[in-house]
Amino acid sequence: MSTYQEFIQQNEDRDGVRFSWNLWPSSRLEATRLVVPVSCLFTPLKERTDLPPVQYEPVLCSRANCKAVLNPLCQVDFRAKIWACNFCFQRNPFPPSYAGISEVNQPAELMPQFSTIEYIVQRGTPAPLIFLYVVDTCLEEEDLQALKESLQMSLSLLPPNALVGLITFGRMVQVHELSCEGIAKSYVFRGTKDLSSKQIQEMLGLAKPGATGPQGRPPALQEPAASCRFLQPVHKVDMNLTDLLGELQRDPWPVPQGKRPLRSTGVALSVAVGLLEGTFPNTGARVMLFIGGPPTQGPGMVVGDELKTPIRSWHDIQKDNARHLKKATKYYEALANRSAVNGHSIDIYACALDQTGLLEMKCLSNLTGGHIVMGDSFNTSLFKQTFQRVFSKDYNGDFRMAFGGLLEVKTSRELKVCGAIGPCVSLNCKGPCISENEMGIGGTSQWKICSLNPSTTLGIYFEVVNQHNAPIPQGGRGAIQFVTQYQHSNTQRRIRVTTIARNWADAQSQIQHIESSFDQEAAAVLMARLGVFRAESEEGPDVLRWLDRQLIRLCQKFGQFNKDDPTSFRLSESLSLYPQFMFHLRRSPFLQVFNNSPDESSYYRHHFVRQDLTQSLIMIQPILYSYSFHGPPEPVLLDSSSILPDRILLMDTFFQLVIYHGETIDQWRKAGYQEMAEYENFKQLLHAPLDDAQEILQTRFPMPRYIDTEHGGSQARFLLSKVNPSQTHNNLYTWGQETGAPILTDDVSLQVFMDHLKKLAVSSST
Amino acid sequence: MESNMEDKYIKPGNQERGWNDPPQFSYNFQMARGPQRNLLNKRAVAPEVFFGLNPNSVGSPGITPSSNPLASAPCGVAPPPPPTGRPPAGSMVTLTPPVGPLGSQKKANSSQSQSEPDVEGVVSVLDRALAACRQTVKDQVCNDVAKRLHLLEDSWRKGKLSLPVRRRMDTLAQELQLGHWDSADDIHRSLMVDHVTEVSQWMVGVKRLIAETRGLSPELLEPLQNPAESVQNND
Repeated sequence: MSTYQEFIQQNEDRDGVRFSWNLWPSSRLEATRLVVPVSCLFTPLKERTDLPPVQYEPVLCSRANCKAVLNPLCQVDFRAKIWACNFCFQRNPFPPSYAGISEVNQPAELMPQFSTIEYIVQRGTPAPLIFLYVVDTCLEEEDLQALKESLQMSLSLLPPNALVGLITFGRMVQVHELSCEGIAKSYVFRGTKDLSSKQIQEMLGLAKPGATGPQGRPPALQEPAASCRFLQPVHKVDMNLTDLLGELQRDPWPVPQGKRPLRSTGVALSVAVGLLEGTFPNTGARVMLFIGGPPTQGPGMVVGDELKTPIRSWHDIQKDNARHLKKATKYYEALANRSAVNGHSIDIYACALDQTGLLEMKCLSNLTGGHIVMGDSFNTSLFKQTFQRVFSKDYNGDFRMAFGGLLEVKTSRELKVCGAIGPCVSLNCKGPCISENEMGIGGTSQWKICSLNPSTTLGIYFEVVNQHNAPIPQGGRGAIQFVTQYQHSNTQRRIRVTTIARNWADAQSQIQHIESSFDQEAAAVLMARLGVFRAESEEGPDVLRWLDRQLIRLCQKFGQFNKDDPTSFRLSESLSLYPQFMFHLRRSPFLQVFNNSPDESSYYRHHFVRQDLTQSLIMIQPILYSYSFHGPPEPVLLDSSSILPDRILLMDTFFQLVIYHGETIDQWRKAGYQEMAEYENFKQLLHAPLDDAQEILQTRFPMPRYIDTEHGGSQARFLLSKVNPSQTHNNLYTWGQETGAPILTDDVSLQVFMDHLKKLAVSSST
Repeated sequence: MESNMEDKYIKPGNQERGWNDPPQFSYNFQMARGPQRNLLNKRAVAPEVFFGLNPNSVGSPGITPSSNPLASAPCGVAPPPPPTGRPPAGSMVTLTPPVGPLGSQKKANSSQSQSEPDVEGVVSVLDRALAACRQTVKDQVCNDVAKRLHLLEDSWRKGKLSLPVRRRMDTLAQELQLGHWDSADDIHRSLMVDHVTEVSQWMVGVKRLIAETRGLSPELLEPLQNPAESVQNND
C-alpha cells in the first residue's frame, strides 16, 4: 500500500493528476464491472515551483487527426531523427531545429521527469488582462461604502497595465466612460429592456448603428480607441476611477415601503458581456459582478419587487411554484454561453442576508470559470479578504489567475473520453477518441475553461473500449495526454502538456493488483462529482439511490464474504475508507438540500466541482483534530464519540472552521486558569488549535466562516450536525467511561449504514 | 521591505455584519506567510468493527502536526486532569511559548518604537518627487497628484491619520527617496489593504507618484535623492 500511496502522491505532485484506478482493466466488460469508471482528477495549472517553462513551441505529431505532442513515452530513433507517436504510431521526422539531438543530448520533453512540461508560445500579440466591475448600487450605505473601498483597494492590486472598466446599476444601468481628463460621462440604459449585443455596441458607439438602431447615439470612431473609453489601463485612470468610485451614491430612486429596490442585474450583465464581446473577443477578461440582492426587474428577474412575495425556496421549486426560475435561468445561461464563447469569465460576489438569485445566475460562473463568493455583507472580513485573494500572487510574483484555457485530451486507442466535470464548457470538438457514453460534459475532446487558477481541477471520465476477446498484450500501457493552452497572467501564451501512462491488467487473473491500485480518495471525489452533476438535473432521492447502488456493487465486487452472511464481510485496505466517504457524502449539502436555501446549495456545489482533491475531500468528509494533554494533536473520528470533555476539537468543513471546547476545558477556560503562570501549559493547549486554524484561514479561498464555540454553546450545532451520530437519544446505553456526546437525531449512523451495506452486499438476491 | 512587527497583525472579523466572520489578517501578515507548518489533512479510520482490519491505520503515521509547541511535551508527562476539575499544572515542563503570531503580536506592541513620524519630512520628500516629475509628466497628472498630496497633508495635520498609517507613510517616503520603488510600492499596497478607509482618498496620488518617479532619468531624480544640494541650487 505504501508504494501505491507514494506513487499516487508523486503523480499528483508532478502531473496534477489522480486516477481512480492506477492499473487499468484491459477490456470494456471488465472495466464496467469495476463500477467506478477509469477517471481522474486533473489540475491543469498545478503550481510547480520546480518547472521552468521552455522557450519554444511543442513538436506535434504530423497526423492530421492526432497532433499529439512529443513526450517521454514516444519511441525515438536518434540516428534517423525520427520519433513515433505513442498515440497513433505515426512516424514523424524531427523538425530541423532538433538536428543535434542524440541519446546524450535530449530535449527536455523526452526526459521522463518532464511528463509535465510547459511551453511559452511566441505567437500572437500579448493582450492585457481586463477587469470589468459591475456594481449594484442598491446597497445599504455601510455596505456600499465598504464595497467602494474594496474596489479602490483592488486598483492597487491590479497589474498597472491591466484594463479596467466600470458599470453601475440599480433601476438604470450606467456604463462609465473612463478618461484621464475632463468630465466624467456615462451611458445610461433602461433596466427593463433586453438588448442585443449589436444594439448595445451601437449605443455605446462601438459599432456603426444599424438601420433600425432605435436610440443609437451618433456613430463614434471605429478605432480600438473608442472601446478604450470604457476600458482603460489602470495606471492611466486610477486617480479618476478612485474619485469616481468614491463618489458613487446609492441608487437614487425611492424605494416605497414594502418594496424591494429595482435592481437591473440582467441588463447590467448583458451590457457588460456585450461590451467585452464587441471590444475584446477571445482575450482574457473578468467581469466582476457585485450584488447585494436579487435581480428584481427586466430580463433575468428572479423575484418581483413586492416584499410580501418571498424569493423562491426549495419548497416552491418542488411544487413548481417558482415563477421566474426557468426564464431567468435561461436568460443567464444564454449570457454565460456567449461569454464563454468569447473567453470571458464572470465572477459573482453576492453579499446579503437573504438569497440573491445565485441559483439562477450560477451558470454565469460555472460555465466561465468565474468565482462565486457568498457573504452576509460587503463590510465583512470574509468578503474583503476573499476579494483580496482573487489577486494573490505565486512564488514568481505572477497572479494566480489564467485566462482562455483550452484543455484537449488525447487517448491511446483502447481508451475513449466520456466527458469532464468542472468549470468548463464543451468546444464540441469531434474526433476518434470520444466515447458515445457521456459522463458529465461529453461528446468532445476539448473544453474551454475561461478562467482558471492553480487549484482549478476537472474530473475527467474515460471508457475502456478494448473488446473482451482481444486482450491487450502483456506489459502494454495505455496513455493519456492533456494539452492545456492558456493565457498566463503575465500575458504570455503558454501550453502545458502532461502525458501519463498506466499499465493494463487482466481483471480476471490480476484483480487483486487492480484492487490495490484503487485510489479511494480520488474515486470518492470523482463519484461525488458525478452525483453532484446528476443532482443538477435529477431529483435528490434518485441521485442518492444511484450512489447507493454503485457502492453496493463495488462492495459486491471487491468484498470478501460468504453468501448471505453479513458478519463475514471484509474489505481490503485500499477500499476501507470508501464506504465512509459515501456515508458522509450522502449527508453533505452537495446532495441534501434540507436546511439550505437554493442559493446555498448552488454555492456549495459550485465550489465542490472545481477544487482539488484535498479540498474536495474535506468537503465530503470534514477533518477533525483533537487537542488534549495526552499528546500531540491527532486526527480523530468524525464521530460523536470524539466529543469529550477534556478535548478541544478543530473541525474543517472547507466552508467553516469550528473550534469546539469540551465541557471540562470550557469550565477551566471560564475559570481563567490560562491566566495563571502555573497553568502555562493550559494556555498553550488553548492556543494550539487557534494557531492551526489560522494557517488554514490564511490560505483558503474563499475565506471560511470561523466558529469558536464550546460544549452546550448554540454554535456547537455546526459540529454536531457533521459528526456521525453513533450515540443518539435512541441508543443511549452505557458506552463505558468516556461517553462522547449523544446527538439528538433520527439520522442513521455509520454503523447502521454499514450494517445495511454489508447485508445488501452479501445478499444473493441483489 | 523590512516590515515592522506592528504591521503584522490579526484583528477580529466584523461580527455585527456577518455571522462568524473570520479574523482579518494584515497585508504583511499574509505576505510573510511561510510554508504551512501543520498540515491538518489526516483522517482517523473507522474502528474495524466494520471490516475486521487492524485499527492501526490512522492516515499515514509520522505526519502528525509536530511543530506545535504541545508536541514537544512528551506524551504522558502531563498527568490527566484531576477529577476535582483543574487543569494539570504545567510546572514540570518548560515549554517554549507558542511561536504563533498571537504571541509575537504582543511582543511587537511592547517593543514598538516611540518615534513620531514628522509630517514635514514626509511631505517634503513627496513634494520633491512631484517637482522632479513636473519636468516630464503631463501637467494635469501632476496637478492631480498635487491635489491628493494636499489632502494627505491636510488629514495628517488635522490629526485624522492613525499612528500606523503615519509610520508607514514615513517609511514609504524614505524608500521613495532611496529609490527603492518596489518597496515603496509595496508599502502603498499594504496601506491600501489595511487602512483603506483612512487613505483611499489620497493614496492613489502617492501610488501614481511612485510609478512616475520610477521612470525618471537619474539626473531628474537628483534633487529627490540629494535634497541638500538641490536646495542650495534652488536658492
